[in-house]
Amino acid sequence: MNRATHAARRGRGTWRLAAGIAVSLVLLAAPLAAKDHAAFAARSGVELAREAAVAWAADAVLVYVENDESVDGSGSAVRWGYLFHSPSLEKSRAYSVRDGKIVTAENLEMRFEAPALADGWIDSGAALAAVEKEAGKTLAKTPGLRLSTMLLMRGPFQDGDPDRTAWTLIYTVPEQPALFVLVDAVDGKVRRSWRG
Amino acid sequence: MRLTSFHVRAIAFLTLGAALAAAAAPKVHAEAQAEVKMERIKPEREKYETVRFLKQNRDFVRRRFDLLREKPVGASGDAGAIDPRYLEYSKMLAAVLADRDSVTRAAEARDRLTLLASITELGQLETQLDQMDRLLAAQRGRLGILQNDFTGRQQTALVVVASGWPAGTTVDSITIALEDGSHTTVTLTDAQRASLRDGGVLQLFHGFVEPRVQAFELTLAGSRWAAPAPAWVTLDPARDRITFLKLDLSTVAQGGAADMSARTWIHDESLPPGDS
Repeated sequence: MNRATHAARRGRGTWRLAAGIAVSLVLLAAPLAAKDHAAFAARSGVELAREAAVAWAADAVLVYVENDESVDGSGSAVRWGYLFHSPSLEKSRAYSVRDGKIVTAENLEMRFEAPALADGWIDSGAALAAVEKEAGKTLAKTPGLRLSTMLLMRGPFQDGDPDRTAWTLIYTVPEQPALFVLVDAVDGKVRRSWRG
Repeated sequence: MRLTSFHVRAIAFLTLGAALAAAAAPKVHAEAQAEVKMERIKPEREKYETVRFLKQNRDFVRRRFDLLREKPVGASGDAGAIDPRYLEYSKMLAAVLADRDSVTRAAEARDRLTLLASITELGQLETQLDQMDRLLAAQRGRLGILQNDFTGRQQTALVVVASGWPAGTTVDSITIALEDGSHTTVTLTDAQRASLRDGGVLQLFHGFVEPRVQAFELTLAGSRWAAPAPAWVTLDPARDRITFLKLDLSTVAQGGAADMSARTWIHDESLPPGDS
């Protein structure tokens, strides 16, 4: 084997080493990127959003909560949205919270005179746990089922008792209507479920 | 020079010593000021979608709300939501009155004790003193609740002040607009102009603001500018603190608000050690 062949082999070896290091760095960086933003339960962001809301309108009340990023298995999300309504301004303003900071604040371009949420509502993790406990086995049998949305409000989905504050969990199923599960946000009981 | 293990140990020792000395040094308590950029074009920030389901299903949700809405019947019966704390206050007041009755009864009983000398009655006195202690503790608890409700609530605030006076132009008013759509216009009086010329500082705005990164729009109106051009300054008011923004008008010329220089700092209102 001549000197040129040796040099070519050394060159290829160096390239392989560099490529290996690059792949390793990418693999190491991927989980770090996922950890850039920590998931949290819905309640953790309420106080920050409320503080902003009362700066906007002193009579602002929390009327709606929704996950702004996907919900994990413990009912946490990287970003939650909180909607406040001001009766005096007749306006609603939403705050999106991530990593303990408000990343977006915007007025809702629609009339939305929702009633204020009751105090003491259970957190998103407890609501999801209640559904898992009540209907976990049934849900597990549905192929492709995915929890897409958790929203907290008072009124529209509670036919029998619209005054109760309730979590609505919305599961999507491929090529089927979504599955809605309603959890009472005060006593933590699953009230009903329906397809829609 | 080749490093021996002795050198390595010596360097490590010196580094540790320096770190300990830095940690032990007294910390200087100062309000750090920072210059902020005045921009002619409103800065763009990344926008995140929020309450997506609600927006996508707005008609459906509103229809459901409309079904729940009560129909007006002509009779008036408006009532505002009562803050649950105020309901608690009436209970606390009732407890205060009840405690006062208890204290009065205890005082009367104590007066009677002067006529009694038995050991059993002295024991009763001790029980009554314990009861008064408990009542005092309860009162302290109630005062604590009031203190938390009315003195412990700090909110994020912004104070905007102006200083300096431009040479060769007259500023008639200064407008500050927040991202939520609210705005404040301060029309300068002759006295305020004179004060600014003499080195005074004028407060333009003092109010609660949202604790988040946001752009404040500033506009100067005066004889120099037919159509005043606004400028934007981006701030991130710290939560539960007072953020100051100081505008220097002395540099203002043809460009209007964008010619101003600005500085910001956070007001440190914590008590010095020993006063808390």
